[in-house]
Amino acid sequence: MLAFQRRFGAALAMSADPDVRLMDGALARALAVHRNTSTKAARDALAANYPVVRALCGDGAFDGCAAAYVRSHPSREARLNAFGEDFDTFLRGYEPARGVAYLPDIARLERLLTESLFAADAEPAGAAQIAQMIAVGALPHLHPATRFESFSSPAVSIVLAHQALDEAAFGAIGWTPEDALITRPVDGIRSAVAAPGALAFLQACKAGADLSAAVMAADQAGADFSVLLPPLIEAGAFASTSPARNC
Amino acid sequence: MTVTAGLGFRTQHFDEAMACVADGLWFEVHAENYMVEGGPRLAALDALRDRHPVALHAVGLSIASAEGPDLAHLKRLARLVDRVRPLAVSDHLAWQRWSGVHYADFLPFPRTWGALDRVADNVALVQDVIGTRLLVENPSLYVDLPGHDISEIEFLGALASRTGCGLLVDVNNIFVSAMNLGFNAAAYVDRIPAEFIGEVHLAGYAKDADPASPLIIDSHDQPVSIAVWELYHRLITRVGLRPTLIERDDNIPSFGELMAERNRAHRILTAADLIGIDRALL
Repeated sequence: MLAFQRRFGAALAMSADPDVRLMDGALARALAVHRNTSTKAARDALAANYPVVRALCGDGAFDGCAAAYVRSHPSREARLNAFGEDFDTFLRGYEPARGVAYLPDIARLERLLTESLFAADAEPAGAAQIAQMIAVGALPHLHPATRFESFSSPAVSIVLAHQALDEAAFGAIGWTPEDALITRPVDGIRSAVAAPGALAFLQACKAGADLSAAVMAADQAGADFSVLLPPLIEAGAFASTSPARNC
Repeated sequence: MTVTAGLGFRTQHFDEAMACVADGLWFEVHAENYMVEGGPRLAALDALRDRHPVALHAVGLSIASAEGPDLAHLKRLARLVDRVRPLAVSDHLAWQRWSGVHYADFLPFPRTWGALDRVADNVALVQDVIGTRLLVENPSLYVDLPGHDISEIEFLGALASRTGCGLLVDVNNIFVSAMNLGFNAAAYVDRIPAEFIGEVHLAGYAKDADPASPLIIDSHDQPVSIAVWELYHRLITRVGLRPTLIERDDNIPSFGELMAERNRAHRILTAADLIGIDRALL
């Protein structure tokens, strides 16, 4: 069984298949079917997880890109719903996409959306709970689905315009760097441009700093945390308790 | 409620699935799609489970492999089984993992006596970890490999006898394998040991996209074919009512179109059940 799997697996892994063509015709055809089926599943999963990258590339160019990614980064596990972990890094070195410098940013933002979608559940903290925490000098817990990152491109505006299928919004995007904040309040995933200084505060929360250090981080980024906090609470960025891990 | 015919659950059909009151209806999901920590998809599965019976169909346990199943993956399945309390849990007589890579397909192997020992060990481990019986599905075959010691039916029957697992009979896979390998599908259907059959799958196939290839592919992107309906009728007439699923994973039509196929299976099952009751009364 092991010897067979070794031979079949090696033949399956070959992308250019001169040796496979020399194999028995029926076996080579079956290998082609299995290779097509398994790579199609991975390409479909990538397309499902990166719809905006796909829309920006066009279907034909995305299919070529997806095939190259699946060859160089085959799935290491059976859960394909989160497939494409390294797609943004891959795109940075993918020659045909060199002319679209912001494409890796879009892929990274879509990856954060996928992470947020599948993160653990927790009750978002309301303003009163956060006020209580701060009154005793405690730092708010981030909601497990909260993600944030700074981009040198207007990645958030591009993704939002594509999600809304809004041509006018797409045309109105100013070419400025954006800080992305992704949250999962009870009504679904939300992506937004974060206020200046918000990411410094959130980063301090994530790192488990104490409250005064987090306030100082926001302050150094030129923001007043008492102004930053209400929209972050409204977006569901914080959890009322530390979440239990389910999976 | 007696469970009759069900549908593969698609998230875009959530509202219609929740509202549907069809007699005997159930749903099946791919277990791997729900092995996540939380979020709206898992919440939708919880809601569906509270409304209809739900079965878990795994596609990545790799039970027909010389290396044992991935324990971390098995534990994720066990957690999902605890959460969903499913109607059934199933996977395929196939392997997916090689050298750290997961191939999302059901790969063949020579059915040797040694392989039977190995697969039986793997199935026993799966059942130990998930705490319930596994149903093992016959895969679609595209080549008649050399080196088999025993037929697929003998292999599956021996596996069920040794491990206590059940069988998931995929009638479309029988048809696809029969066409590709050149055996008689009706004779296969007639020989499956009825006592082990826990579930039945029906799906559509497609011709291989390569025009030079004579193969047909288990594509799940078409309605169930007439030939497969005939084989299904033959099977159910012999073995009686078994929970039956319409599988559709690509080129997804409306909920109504899927329900029309599901209702056809439901009618065949209820007719077989009535005949069974008549026989019992006599």
